[in-house]
Amino acid sequence: MTHPRYDLFDDVAVRLDSVSLRYDTSEDILSDIDLVLKPGSFSFLTGASGAGKTSLLKLLYLALKPSRGEVSLFGRPTSNLTRDQLSALRRRVGVVFQEFRLLEHLSAYENVALPLRVLGRREADYRADVEELLAWVGLGERLHAKPPTLSGGEQQRVAIARAVVTQPDILIADEPTGNVDPEMGTRLMRLFLELNKRRKTTVIIATHDLGLVRQVEAPVYRLANRLLVKDVEYGPDTVARRRTDPGKGI
Amino acid sequence: MSMAKETPLLPVEDVREAALFFVVGALCFLAALATLSAKSTYGAAKSWTAEVQGELTVSLPDVDRRGADEARKVIAETEGVREARVLTKAEIDALLEPNFGSRGLPDSLPLPQLVAVKADPAVADMGPTIARRLTEAGFANAVDEHADWAGDVRRVLGVARLTALIAVALLASTAVAVIAFATHAALLARRDIVDVLHLAGARDRFIAGLFERRFWVLGLRAGTVGALLALGAAALMIFTVQAHGSRAGLLPELSLDFLDLIILVVTPVIAGFASRFAARITVIRALKGMM
Repeated sequence: MTHPRYDLFDDVAVRLDSVSLRYDTSEDILSDIDLVLKPGSFSFLTGASGAGKTSLLKLLYLALKPSRGEVSLFGRPTSNLTRDQLSALRRRVGVVFQEFRLLEHLSAYENVALPLRVLGRREADYRADVEELLAWVGLGERLHAKPPTLSGGEQQRVAIARAVVTQPDILIADEPTGNVDPEMGTRLMRLFLELNKRRKTTVIIATHDLGLVRQVEAPVYRLANRLLVKDVEYGPDTVARRRTDPGKGI
Repeated sequence: MSMAKETPLLPVEDVREAALFFVVGALCFLAALATLSAKSTYGAAKSWTAEVQGELTVSLPDVDRRGADEARKVIAETEGVREARVLTKAEIDALLEPNFGSRGLPDSLPLPQLVAVKADPAVADMGPTIARRLTEAGFANAVDEHADWAGDVRRVLGVARLTALIAVALLASTAVAVIAFATHAALLARRDIVDVLHLAGARDRFIAGLFERRFWVLGLRAGTVGALLALGAAALMIFTVQAHGSRAGLLPELSLDFLDLIILVVTPVIAGFASRFAARITVIRALKGMM
């Protein structure tokens, strides 16, 4: 990218300007990606396995630097920020990792409370919120359980609770319903939608699950051949389908 | 639900930390012992050289006992001399006993008369002055200033002390390097935790603080054990030297004083700080590799 196209005071949550990514000396995994997510938007990211969805999400939650281009969060280009400034931005982003990344020596309760400990909050102040959140995701009876004793679905729900416990401005979820049954998947989607509607949280969900995508009127971005395209198949169709068949929504 | 105590974010690694505890403890033991040895050597040298400062022995080859007494008077009248005394035959035999055995020397063997002199250490050139006055009085003589030997001893002990200090510095550096290595290993082993904390917005110093606290406590504990072992070893050496009395006369006089105890108390604190420092530097450097 020769001329970064960003405005310091843009009203955008996420902005990618001509972003490319490559690991080591291999070919680009992502090439010349442009993306703008407005605050309070809800989007899906789809694509075949290996298309680069997780890599794109890593760029969004500031785990990777782009090889070229600029990633901006909340109108701030991230390439020249100090490490403390990057940490401050990360605190505004909740992430549901595909592989959960729960700390095995901590209980479900402690895993969910982890971002709050990082923020320096006192346990007495957040205890009730964490317990309520875990109860909401159906783990009210498993507060003390350690991740190795939880099923895949339970671990996923703990990971989701951890991502949303700080009520982040942006929620990035990588296959968040991959290990749960359809009923729980629907409940989790409702949680994401509630966060999106009530708190104006910007949500982007990477998923293979087209059924999940069809439940929500939301733009769908698809990664194919290293490029990001706004999908025309699911977005308008979804709206049309929901208008004719309201029972299909959440 | 009550969460009485928060679980540490870094899990305890019993096996790895036990090995590191042993290494740091051993290094602290050696460092404390080397420091105590350096201090003891320095103290002994200082005490011994202070003792011989101003002492001289005058050898008179061609005189009998009466002539020696006259020479003693000449020496005693020299300015700066505090005391001059002709050694008895028994004292000379005792001096020569290590070379000629305990049965004494035959009277037929010509031996010089010896005069032990104590002079004011502040007066310069005492040896040449006494030699000149004796020569003027007609006595052939040879004057041996003990301070000349003391200078040699001081130089040798200075080298020994420097060697001990270098050993302490090397041991401390080794401890820091070992802890840095262990921190790096712990960091690699706990990369998952570091990643999650990092992506949750933890600042570098927050993450480094977890490792710092862990290794600070480890260094403090291991240092305490090492210092206590060094105290035990020093006490055993002192006891052994004292039990053997005069046979250990060549060894410096050993004792444990207040300063020794300070060294032993400071050792674990230094170990703790060194551990903390090594952990901090290692973690901060490693985190710099992450975005």
